Amino acid sequence: MRLWSRLRSWLGANLRRARMDSEMDAELRFHLEAYAEDLIGNGVSRQQALRRARLEFGGVDKTKEECREARGVRFIETLMRDLHYSMRALRKSPGFTTVAVLTLALGIGANTTIFSAVDALMLRPLPFPASNELVRIYSIQQGMFNTFGNPDGPSAPDVRDFAERSHSFQSIVVYDTWRKNVNFGDAAGEPEQMSVGLVPAGYFEVLGIRPIVGRLFTEEENQEGKNYIAAISALLWRSRYAGDPLILGRKIRINGEPYTIVAVMPDVIPAWVEPGRHSQIWTPFAFSDAWSESSRGGRGWATLARLRPGVSLEQAQADLSVIAAALAAEHPVDEGVGAAVKRLADTRVGALRPMLFLLIGAVSLILLIACVNLANLLLARNSARQRELAVRAALGAGRGGLVRQLLVETLVLSLVGGAVGLVLARIGLASLARMHTEELPQLTSVGIDWRVLAFTFLVSLATSLLFGLAPAFMGTRLNLVDALKQGGRSATSGPSSQRVRNILVVTEMAMSLILLVGATLLVRSIIRLERQSLGIRQDHLLRGRIYLPPVRYADAGTITRFCDDFAARVRALPGVINATVTTVYPPNNGWIQMLDIPGHPVTRIQDIPSAQFGVADAHFLAALEIPLIRGRDFAASDSVTSPPVALISQEFNRRYFPTEDPIGRKIHIGPPQFLRIPRGENTSDDTDVTIVGVVGDFKNAGLAHSPDPQITVLYAQHPLVNYGFKDIVIRTAADPNPLVPEIRRQLHELDSDVPFADVHTMDELVQAETGSQRFTTLLLSSFAAAGLALAVVGIYGVISFLVTQRKQELSVRIALGASRANVLWLVLKQGLEMAAIGAAIGLAGAWSAQRLMGRLLFGVSPVDPLTFAGAAAFLLAVAVIASAIPGVRVLQIDPAQMLRQD
Amino acid sequence: MTKQIDLLQGTLDMLILKAVSLGPLHGYGILLRIQQISKDRLEIQQGSLYPALYRLEHQGWIASEWGESENRRKAKYYRLTTAGKRRFQAEAEKWNRMADVIAGILRTTPEQV
Repeated sequence: MRLWSRLRSWLGANLRRARMDSEMDAELRFHLEAYAEDLIGNGVSRQQALRRARLEFGGVDKTKEECREARGVRFIETLMRDLHYSMRALRKSPGFTTVAVLTLALGIGANTTIFSAVDALMLRPLPFPASNELVRIYSIQQGMFNTFGNPDGPSAPDVRDFAERSHSFQSIVVYDTWRKNVNFGDAAGEPEQMSVGLVPAGYFEVLGIRPIVGRLFTEEENQEGKNYIAAISALLWRSRYAGDPLILGRKIRINGEPYTIVAVMPDVIPAWVEPGRHSQIWTPFAFSDAWSESSRGGRGWATLARLRPGVSLEQAQADLSVIAAALAAEHPVDEGVGAAVKRLADTRVGALRPMLFLLIGAVSLILLIACVNLANLLLARNSARQRELAVRAALGAGRGGLVRQLLVETLVLSLVGGAVGLVLARIGLASLARMHTEELPQLTSVGIDWRVLAFTFLVSLATSLLFGLAPAFMGTRLNLVDALKQGGRSATSGPSSQRVRNILVVTEMAMSLILLVGATLLVRSIIRLERQSLGIRQDHLLRGRIYLPPVRYADAGTITRFCDDFAARVRALPGVINATVTTVYPPNNGWIQMLDIPGHPVTRIQDIPSAQFGVADAHFLAALEIPLIRGRDFAASDSVTSPPVALISQEFNRRYFPTEDPIGRKIHIGPPQFLRIPRGENTSDDTDVTIVGVVGDFKNAGLAHSPDPQITVLYAQHPLVNYGFKDIVIRTAADPNPLVPEIRRQLHELDSDVPFADVHTMDELVQAETGSQRFTTLLLSSFAAAGLALAVVGIYGVISFLVTQRKQELSVRIALGASRANVLWLVLKQGLEMAAIGAAIGLAGAWSAQRLMGRLLFGVSPVDPLTFAGAAAFLLAVAVIASAIPGVRVLQIDPAQMLRQD
Repeated sequence: MTKQIDLLQGTLDMLILKAVSLGPLHGYGILLRIQQISKDRLEIQQGSLYPALYRLEHQGWIASEWGESENRRKAKYYRLTTAGKRRFQAEAEKWNRMADVIAGILRTTPEQV
């Protein structure tokens, strides 16, 4: 109540200052006139009376000023004065101010950046109505097709049965995304490869998206022949058609066939929802054979489903498990195959999840280090200022005034730090978006999360207030006389505050060591990952992709002819050493094929031999420079009419022919007898081949995995799997990039409607593979560097302070004959002790983080002793250097002069 | 004229509270009232009265409003608030105790020590 009335009075006073002043004038005038009238009543002359009244009253202006102050109107003026004084004080110690502001900015900036990104990547609800009902269904098989540890999509017939038999879902849709040749038929005319979403009518309905213009697909349009319609994204509508209102009915050529645009969809589907790349065009899901019983083993479709309201994920999972078990009993091809359901929102970061957790841990450490550093800086500054405070107290400044001034100073510091932090966060998010658009397209649209900014700012503010003001209270309570008596020496800081500072430095050391160890481990891991041999010659190698659409390349013979022509033309170009049209090359193959190997009889589906499979031409080995170990290479004489031949890798040899010579052995490409489906109904291979050669292993299951068994055949001899999707790998004499336009020209001479797409060097493909590791490593390394820098500032500050404090004592020691080396050691020992304790704690911390780290490392143990020892040694070395700089000052002391000073 | 005593530090506030406790008064009236009840034995610096009034008002012990003076002029009148009443009683009690103690000390004769 009292506080309220004061506040109201103060507020009122400030808001109505002018009115108050005039009222005050009126009141004082009344007083003077009333007094003068009384004097006149007592017989004094009018003129005399007014003069006496004013005289006896005293200074009117001084009274007014005092009145204003009494009413608190002077608050603003005082605040401005404090502000002015704070700025001056901060400017006077630029070192302290810079370091404190940067410390704050770093803590606030790093945390705001990372948490904003994490929020956008993992936490924010999806942009769809009732998005928590959205799930995906996966098919889980006992390890066999899960080379990457990722669950695979189910087959269409299985999904149809899930939908019919379960009670948990409103609807389930199967869809896919394909690379297709797209020609908008506009003036530019160049065909492009784009990813096209092949989606059923229900796809947009499940997501709850309505078209901006036009209509959704109908069920009927999922039939082949009726599917020549397309929906385009609003982005494409704006960029390609300038938002043309008459867009409906216009045609796009996809794979050489015209599709009519029937809808424009809003840009709300995040890129990760569609496998592969972000689709801007969708056409109906028209695969009649996908639904036939013979396709029950054809897994890998993407799914989207919406749970019925009120159905939990666990209920849906239980429901699906029962159905999957029933299907496994009914269909041999489903034996050992289960189903798993995951919330759509949880599938968005995939393999990056542990990295994001690591980054969260790292920025939290940075925030802690920043706060500790700030505390340390403020403690040092305020203990150095105790004398100044004491002087001001002695000159009559009240405790309230001193505290208020320190408060203003702390606030100014925090605000400036926060502002710089905000700038850092903006820069950080912008560079995140640039660094990682391929794998995390969501990052391009991340804005600053203001809640995080506010939180980190408040944490730093609390720290500054705690450590900025606590000494002020202690300081002002200190005996003034004591503080002043310290004379020219810096004011005391008691042993307890020194201990606090030591603990703070030890904490900083420990936390920076954890960051240092983490960053070193990641760097070593990434070096291992990228420097390992792929099993081919990696340099001067270019990869490009083509797609020959069935409308013009209906049979395998045409495809073979086109590919052979194209490769021959490319080989003939100057600067090209060799070229091969192939689907097989490192680091990822991804086409896993079931095999029937004589001598390997199997009855259970999970025992069926399988290998990485692919088709190539006869130049495959020579172009990639894969060594031939035994037997012979493909030859020009291996043709459509000659018996099919195959090359196997050493790993294939070891696994399936451990004791025999594989050369000359026949194996069947395709599932064993009991799973075989009538020829003509399946889309996978079904051919007997003779092994003619064993070749060196190369990376075919990703950089982080050892090579899988590999079998490679000639596309000319395998019409069943001679698809229109082909890649060309070109070996050049020099930098391959300048050759790209000429290669493209050669392609367009053969067919001007086939785009030359996704052109990259092998080095780029390898780097793309390690993209997310690079991203994490780069961030973690910069955090480690920042943490270390802060820790160095901390230890430097504490040691300098100690040296200043102990100058007297050290001078006495030197005067009494202690060698300067001994004295220097006394100083260094202090720094070393703190660093050693910090390092020990840090190593324990890094040890306990091994489970999190282990998942991110390749070829390096998360408790790698070399890294641990190296990081600890580095930290100690840095600590010694930081302590040596102030330590050297001791050596320059002239003891005689020093002692004379007192 | 009887000899006037300078006001003791801190007593002005109490005197003002006493003065307005007898009824609302304007600033000049408060001055007159204090002089009247002290029988002109207290000297009050006129200029120091107003800062004290503003301070007391800011603290919430007294409240003010504009009214009409005896000779029909606009004047600002001060009255005691409830909080001010309590404050005045506490202050007065403290003052009386203090005065007793000091008077007792001063009355002490050498024999009594």
